[in-house]
Amino acid sequence: MERSDVRSLYLLAAFLICAYALPFLIGLSYGTVRADERWLGYLATVVLSGILQGGVYAMFAVGLTLIFGVMRIINAAHGEMVMMGAYLTWVCFFWLGLDPLLSLVLTLPIAFLFGLAVQKLLLDAVVGQPELTALLVTFGLGLTMIYVAELIFTTDFRTIPYAPGTVQLSPTIAVGQNKVISFGMAVAISAGVYLFLKLSRLGKAIRATALNAEVAMVCGINVRRIYLITSGLGVALAVAGGALVSIQFGFNPETGVVYTLQAFAIIILGGRGHYVGALIGGLMLAVLESLVSLMVPNGTAMVELAAYGLMIFVLLIRPGGLMGVKEA
Amino acid sequence: MDGCSFVVPRGTISGLIGPNGSGKTTTFNLLTGLLEPDGGQVIYNGENLAGLKPYQIFRRGITRTFQVTRIFREMTVLENMLSVTGLDVPERVARERAEELIAFVNLGHLRSEYGGRLSYGQQKLLEFVRALMTDPDLILLDEPAAGVNRTLLGHLLDHMHRLQEQGKTIVIVEHDMNVIMNHCERIFVMDYGVKIAEGPPAEIQRDERVVEAYFGRRRA
Amino acid sequence: MTPREHLRNLALLGAAGIVLALTPYTLSVYLRTFAMFTMMYVVLALSWNIISGFTGYTSFGHVAFYGIGAYACAILVTDYRWHWLPTLGAGAVLAAVVAIGIGYPVLRLKGPYFAIAMLGAAEGTRVVATVWDSLTHGGLGISLPSGENSIPTYYAMLALMLVTIAVCYVVGHSRFGIRLNAIREDEVAAEALGINATLYKLAAFTLSAVFPAAAGGIQAYKVLYIDPPAVFFVQITIAMALMSMLGGKGTIIGPIVGAVMLYTAQELTWVNFPTAHLIAYGLFIVLVARFMPRGLVGLAIDRGWVRKGMIH
Repeated sequence: MERSDVRSLYLLAAFLICAYALPFLIGLSYGTVRADERWLGYLATVVLSGILQGGVYAMFAVGLTLIFGVMRIINAAHGEMVMMGAYLTWVCFFWLGLDPLLSLVLTLPIAFLFGLAVQKLLLDAVVGQPELTALLVTFGLGLTMIYVAELIFTTDFRTIPYAPGTVQLSPTIAVGQNKVISFGMAVAISAGVYLFLKLSRLGKAIRATALNAEVAMVCGINVRRIYLITSGLGVALAVAGGALVSIQFGFNPETGVVYTLQAFAIIILGGRGHYVGALIGGLMLAVLESLVSLMVPNGTAMVELAAYGLMIFVLLIRPGGLMGVKEA
Repeated sequence: MDGCSFVVPRGTISGLIGPNGSGKTTTFNLLTGLLEPDGGQVIYNGENLAGLKPYQIFRRGITRTFQVTRIFREMTVLENMLSVTGLDVPERVARERAEELIAFVNLGHLRSEYGGRLSYGQQKLLEFVRALMTDPDLILLDEPAAGVNRTLLGHLLDHMHRLQEQGKTIVIVEHDMNVIMNHCERIFVMDYGVKIAEGPPAEIQRDERVVEAYFGRRRA
Repeated sequence: MTPREHLRNLALLGAAGIVLALTPYTLSVYLRTFAMFTMMYVVLALSWNIISGFTGYTSFGHVAFYGIGAYACAILVTDYRWHWLPTLGAGAVLAAVVAIGIGYPVLRLKGPYFAIAMLGAAEGTRVVATVWDSLTHGGLGISLPSGENSIPTYYAMLALMLVTIAVCYVVGHSRFGIRLNAIREDEVAAEALGINATLYKLAAFTLSAVFPAAAGGIQAYKVLYIDPPAVFFVQITIAMALMSMLGGKGTIIGPIVGAVMLYTAQELTWVNFPTAHLIAYGLFIVLVARFMPRGLVGLAIDRGWVRKGMIH
């Protein structure tokens, strides 16, 4: 790496350390931090929760990073695709009686086909154009999806009661069973896709196209087909993320909006198009959010600010993120 | 680039040649501020320009063209000309000068056409006269002959000589040896980022290192 | 454009202004509000166009400035007892300061990153407004003292629209505008031609921030109640972008046409098809972005009905 590249990486690392320290400092000054064992138990629980949550965040983000990395398209509807995943899982659970994890067998292919359709009808024409066009197209798509969902499901919050028990790791540390299962699934799916990208011919073709589409085309890769497959894969991953979310939180048609921005923050932190970067970014954001919600007054609103703040500072210090080159 | 040193005499036409990848365009980029040097100086009119931004260097009277034309495609020819800054003259005067230059390269009938719709040769001409809007003293031309037909090239070279007669200094990067050998007073040769030779055309043609750089070492 | 053409355009603008100035008393309250909103969107679309259309830096967070203006007016009128008109100026100044502050770092980013950063900035502003409740009353919102504001705000918006059109017109036909276009086309080449891109971008960005702020202030005074979600509404940014794009990004008549057409269409569908209208809106965005990225004016230029370029 060049000198300025290395420098910006150090700067980013320093910033991240400050970002993690900040909730503690704020908490100390506001008195929400205590040094007793009970509180430390809370802290450990919250951090652990954050890590588990990070697995799910990572699921949203890898789909987006693939799409952004391969096609340079900002999918402003990504959160809505997660939301769609949550609703699909809900439908399978309540109307078909399927276990949410099992229903993935059904929902993932649907998601893949949906991604293909979106790419074919909408995004293919938009790939070479300035980013505004893709942003608007996907934004419009997202809006439409929200309104269709409202029409079908109304704006009521839905939940899926699943694995309600808790896992007690120590007298003061407990996490929900559903969170652990979600995390496990997230790890399994991420690992599977990682191996696919790394080892299979198709996976390598995708990575090649992400690096340089023109060269890939000259090497005989059918770039149009790769775009289609990437789109399908990205949406499938988003939907998987949605399924995992559905067993942990309540959701309604509008919850996707926040997920989109969080996903962007994650892929910018991790590096555009970098698969592992998205995984790391997801974990880091989730842990940061947990810390903020515990220690900063007005925690729940500030959590959003944490994501935006993180994103903007990363863009200013090192737009390429942790795993990318400086300028991306 | 590594430890290169050039002195370009004022009022001459010089050539910068070398095999592909030898660092010629990089040199131009360093001179015009698109790249920042890690060390060394760029002295122009007694001032060190290293580290200045491109627009600051431009305002000191140095202008350049690019290897692949960088005209503004979605703007008209006239707008391309008027976008140039540093003029500090009323719009009317700037417009007159623009029209003059456009007419000079026979692009007058295309003044309201989008730059992107011009033919490649016309785009090269546009880039050339656009660079002349501010009456610069040092003009760096990056492969002006590439992709241009003989007649057009003739016009360009004529104008180049006329500029020199007015006291301008010109440096050309080129691969076309006819252009270089017949129109440059002094030639600098680069290879792998270092200067390997310097001198008038006749000397350079005979220089063994130059031949080696272009054609490889002669097998004895 | 010849001086005669400039005069003609000025006359047209003046005529439109006079017509609009005479109408409020003859219109129903509903139509008056409709006209006011349309004028507001013209202001917003034109402003957005300065940074995104001319300069090519697509801002997806411009609603932040609108919101800042709205809050400036609301806070100053309610808590500090200012008269509402000066608050518009205060809001504009505040927006300019924020624009310079955010713009200086963020304008260094390229294309999609700039868009995302601005989106984050806008959402961040919303969260700040919610959380800083000592200043902004947080999620409760601010209720302004009531009064019959319909007519005064109408005229304020009309004046704002005329000023915005005039400024955009001047910018668009000046060398400043050409240089902004140059930055959009090829920033590196523009720098090599002597354009101090950082300065120009910042100027464009700041200019594009002040008018939405004033519009926000007028809106706040008209509606008499604001809270963070209402004012930092991301749909407003989308509307700005869509209107500009529909009419023709990078032109002057484009955003005006786009704003009028889109807002009218929106109102008509909303009135006649209340549930389906939102879905239709979403689909409409998709279709326009997919099939007409150069907008109506772009089509007109391609057909030869309108001349190319701004300076002739």
